[in-house]
Amino acid sequence: MAADSEPESEVFEITDFTTASEWERFISRVEEVLNDWKLIGISSGKPLGKGVYTTETWEEKSDEISFADFRFSVTHHYLVQESSEKDSKEEIVEDALPVAMQDLLCMNNDFPPRAHCLVRWYGLREFVVIAPAANNDAVLSESKCNLLLSSVSIALGNTGCQVPLFVQIHHQWRKMYVGECQGPGVRTDFEMVHLRKVPSQYTHVSGLLDIFKSKIGCPLTPLPPINISIRLTYVLQDWQQYFWPQQPPDIDALVGGEVGGLEFGKLPFGACEDPISELHLATTWPHLTEGIIVDNDVYSDLDPLQAPQWSVRVRKADNPQCLLSDFVTEFFKLCRRKESTDEILGKSAFEEEGKEVADISHALSKLTEPAPVPIHKLSVTNMVHTAKKKIRKHRGVDESPLNNEVLNTILLYLFPDAADKSADGSEARTSTSTGSLPPPDSEDYNIYIQFKSAPSDSLTYKLALCLCMINFYHGGVKGVAHLWQEFVLEMRYRWENNFFVPGLASGAPDLRCCLLHQKLQMLNCCIERKKARDEGKKANSFDRSSGDPGKTDLLGREFHKDSDKEKGEVGKSWDSWSDSEEEFFECLSDTEELKANGQENVKKGVAKESSKETLALKPEGRLHQHGNLTLLHSGEPLYVPVTQEPAPMTEDLLEEQSEVLAKLGTSAEGAHLRARMQSACLLSDMESFKAANPGCCLEDFVRWYSPRDYIEEEMVDEKGNVVIKGELSARMKIPSNMWVEAWETAKPIPARRQRRLFDDTREAEKVLHYFAGQKPADLARHLLPCVLHAAVLKVKEEESLEDITSVKRIIKQIITHSSKVLRFPNPEDKKLEEIIAQIMSVEATIARARSLKAKFGIEKCDEEEERKDLENFVNSFLEQPEVPVIGAGRGPAGTIIHKLFMNAQRVATMLPFDEELKRSGSSDEKRLSSGSVADFPSPAGREVILRMTIPRPAPYSKPLPQRMYSVFTKDDFRLAGAFSSDTTFF
Amino acid sequence: MDEDILTTLKILIIGESGVGKSSLLLRFTDDTFDPELAATIGVDFKVKTISVDGNKAKLAIWDTAGQERFRTLTPSYYRGAQGVILVYDVTRRDTFAKLDNWLTELETYCTRNDIVKMLVGNKIDKENREVDRNEGLKFARKHSMLFIEASAKTCDGVQCAFEELVEKIIQTPGLWESESQNRGVKLSNHEEGYRGGACGGYCSML
Repeated sequence: MAADSEPESEVFEITDFTTASEWERFISRVEEVLNDWKLIGISSGKPLGKGVYTTETWEEKSDEISFADFRFSVTHHYLVQESSEKDSKEEIVEDALPVAMQDLLCMNNDFPPRAHCLVRWYGLREFVVIAPAANNDAVLSESKCNLLLSSVSIALGNTGCQVPLFVQIHHQWRKMYVGECQGPGVRTDFEMVHLRKVPSQYTHVSGLLDIFKSKIGCPLTPLPPINISIRLTYVLQDWQQYFWPQQPPDIDALVGGEVGGLEFGKLPFGACEDPISELHLATTWPHLTEGIIVDNDVYSDLDPLQAPQWSVRVRKADNPQCLLSDFVTEFFKLCRRKESTDEILGKSAFEEEGKEVADISHALSKLTEPAPVPIHKLSVTNMVHTAKKKIRKHRGVDESPLNNEVLNTILLYLFPDAADKSADGSEARTSTSTGSLPPPDSEDYNIYIQFKSAPSDSLTYKLALCLCMINFYHGGVKGVAHLWQEFVLEMRYRWENNFFVPGLASGAPDLRCCLLHQKLQMLNCCIERKKARDEGKKANSFDRSSGDPGKTDLLGREFHKDSDKEKGEVGKSWDSWSDSEEEFFECLSDTEELKANGQENVKKGVAKESSKETLALKPEGRLHQHGNLTLLHSGEPLYVPVTQEPAPMTEDLLEEQSEVLAKLGTSAEGAHLRARMQSACLLSDMESFKAANPGCCLEDFVRWYSPRDYIEEEMVDEKGNVVIKGELSARMKIPSNMWVEAWETAKPIPARRQRRLFDDTREAEKVLHYFAGQKPADLARHLLPCVLHAAVLKVKEEESLEDITSVKRIIKQIITHSSKVLRFPNPEDKKLEEIIAQIMSVEATIARARSLKAKFGIEKCDEEEERKDLENFVNSFLEQPEVPVIGAGRGPAGTIIHKLFMNAQRVATMLPFDEELKRSGSSDEKRLSSGSVADFPSPAGREVILRMTIPRPAPYSKPLPQRMYSVFTKDDFRLAGAFSSDTTFF
Repeated sequence: MDEDILTTLKILIIGESGVGKSSLLLRFTDDTFDPELAATIGVDFKVKTISVDGNKAKLAIWDTAGQERFRTLTPSYYRGAQGVILVYDVTRRDTFAKLDNWLTELETYCTRNDIVKMLVGNKIDKENREVDRNEGLKFARKHSMLFIEASAKTCDGVQCAFEELVEKIIQTPGLWESESQNRGVKLSNHEEGYRGGACGGYCSML
């Protein structure tokens, strides 16, 4: 290099690069990269075992260098072997041939099913490629190509690197490489010819042998034998009698109102087109020598049926249209829509709902109606219909994205209780929640916990599937918005009319489910409380009708006021130290108790009404006796009171609340305030306790509530008797601690007359408001976990029919992956896409397995053993790129493949005669079609590898490996030669 | 100094009433002991930043009331916790016997299944011990928990318990990575094995 040859100046230490040319700099960069990657020095290694190019992994390293302003990327491709590392040391022998040259002759890895083209052509285990970095760049001119090759040659010479180095020339798609490999006193040149048309003399083995011999130009006579490997590949595209069985589901059947093949709540599955497009049969003669076979322009010994090795690969359709994948992908796209429901549907139906009463048309329709129907007798579907009419009116009649039939079918599916004309919420609810459920303990059923979705029998899950289907078949985002609007209207209807929402587990929101599911459960909780209250009210008024009508009236009015007032109230429901007496809690159990012991109740009721002053002294709201405990002062039995249920919470409320609590800080005041805020429940319980146990004290309360805070000790009194004496624990005795404080504040009020801890009206309104504000995109995000959950269940179900091990493994991966991604509040789109892609690939794999099974006629196979072999054969297609056919053309699988080709050929020869003539242009085809009907078409690809070891260039040179690979297909011909020569004396 | 905090962890303290949950927490956060600590109402909350193996972690510790009635209220706070400290009183066998109930409750309400659990036998300073150390060990092993005996009064084992728990959580990456993920800062940004694109010279056939 210029810099090196310059004498170094001791004073200034200037290294002068100004005289270095671009070319020199390029070479030094190449050397640097080779150095960096430690490719310098003797490369050694054992001959490779059979098939390691497929079984072991290939890796690559890349770097970028530039020649002037032209950027090249340098890539090192190498096979990673785990086993060979150990005993490589001892083998370092001076003057040994570089590994690459030994690989040229190795026959263990001919025709690897999947490898870099240079591996396929030259059999190399390691090489470096310099190619233009930009996709469109190309080194075209001959002088530039030569310059590059020279650079490579110099770099290899300078560094002593024994790894072959290639440069890519011409356009990238041509895959043209030239290269060089240097060893001690030897060099291999890698050359290439690439043509579109095959010169006719090279279409057969004898022509190739001629060119190989003349290229080597060996002066020796006679020539040592040339080793020949041949592979002919036949392509089957025409699957004839095997029509792809699956048709896209019939949408019209659904629209027509008949729920036929395609059901709501079931995801479709399978490919709409054949996921297997081609079958490639490779017939291989791995080891021939010149003279054993004849293959020239008039005659060929190469009969595919006689080939010693057969292997098959299938070409998969690139992106087969698969139903499940389409469904899920389309639904996922919804997440990115920005429009709100109102924007999509035109006007807001929610806003105008309130004004509806004033609407003239509404008034008219009221007039024309024969008789007013009491609202609670209207069936849900009726209600939905009127709501729908209303919406339609706003938008103009024909714009409704979902037609009536579809909408009805869906609503009936979602709300089966609506079919029941005299819909009784509670009955419908019990029937849906107990009937026809999968066993709740099964692994599949509990998958919803992993996905944070909803149980597969829940309304939420069904809704997700319906929306998914509507999005796909019925108007996309508009349909989704429409259904959602209907859904929200239905929710409001149910809230207002005390009908439970069906298909939800009862109780507090399940925090393991998605938020939307929690909200629906929350709504049900509200409905439950409201219903209980309304019923309790009815019962009470019935109870008291004989007594004091004035009070009933008052109570009743108060309840009506309730809902109006609370809408405007902003305070936290659990922050309730204010003694507002306008809101009451009606316990379900309390009213039940009232109903159950009617007689006692009447007595009690009468007593209550007659003397209001003694009200506090009469025990009220008792649940049951608490063991054998008695009150400390009066000796009366201690009763556990009926208490208010704690407020159900959804995760967003919870988040909000814990944030508030956390914000109070960690100071003593903060802690105190926090305790105060949470003492509503404690206070309520104390009040209930006081009401149930007149004359009780804090000690009594503590014995029920926190028994460990009442310490009992055995004492001997003055008379010598053992007496059990108890007292409050030290912490309860701290003056004015919160417990004492609350106890003193608490009045004896039974739970049903206490201020409600849980404001169902407000919470329900909040939920409904939240629902109304959801855009289709929000909805899709809420429900995506359910859809993924459903998709995985579907895939699982389909897999169980096919039993494919690799798919089983991937499904497991999907589930664990999903549980990691979906647990967080806002999963990244990229991660969601990954999950969807995994599901898609699983679907495609299963579809392929089915297609292959149909093609190889596994169903028709009677013999058990043969069938098993075939099944294994077919299954291995899904995991291996290329599957060897046991017994080649004579084995059972081979016979089937042979038949497939024969059938395709028979059909092909029925083509018009002149077309047949045109087709058989090449001599090869002529040969094959000259008979009546050949079993196989002309090969789509012929690959020939010629190899020999011979001294070159002079007879006294070292014998060195020579190799030439040739492949020709219909419009592509390539010769790739590696010719080694002894550089000593030359 | 929020920048050098690796993560914020949510930790929960549960157990029967009067076993000393609040005292343990107070000892850990303020290094004090108050024999007359009022019974907790609902949940209480304290924050402390600790450093384990050079990693700073901010602990948001939720202390819960042990009373039966509060149990309808407190499980809501189990959500999203990464670690839980289950406390019993070594001088009261009944608090040990109830541990199974607490575990069931944890299983029911906890949103993640890989939560790190620690069993703490408290009040070892007292003389009238009813639960042997080996019993605690056995229970912890059976339910794959961490185990330590401690005394909030004498300070034995308290610091150690919290540190051990945090270390364990940090060693379980799936548990806390979400923190940085949500903040938008990624600790590792490597593309997962993107290999074998069909181009780049790889041809499958012909």
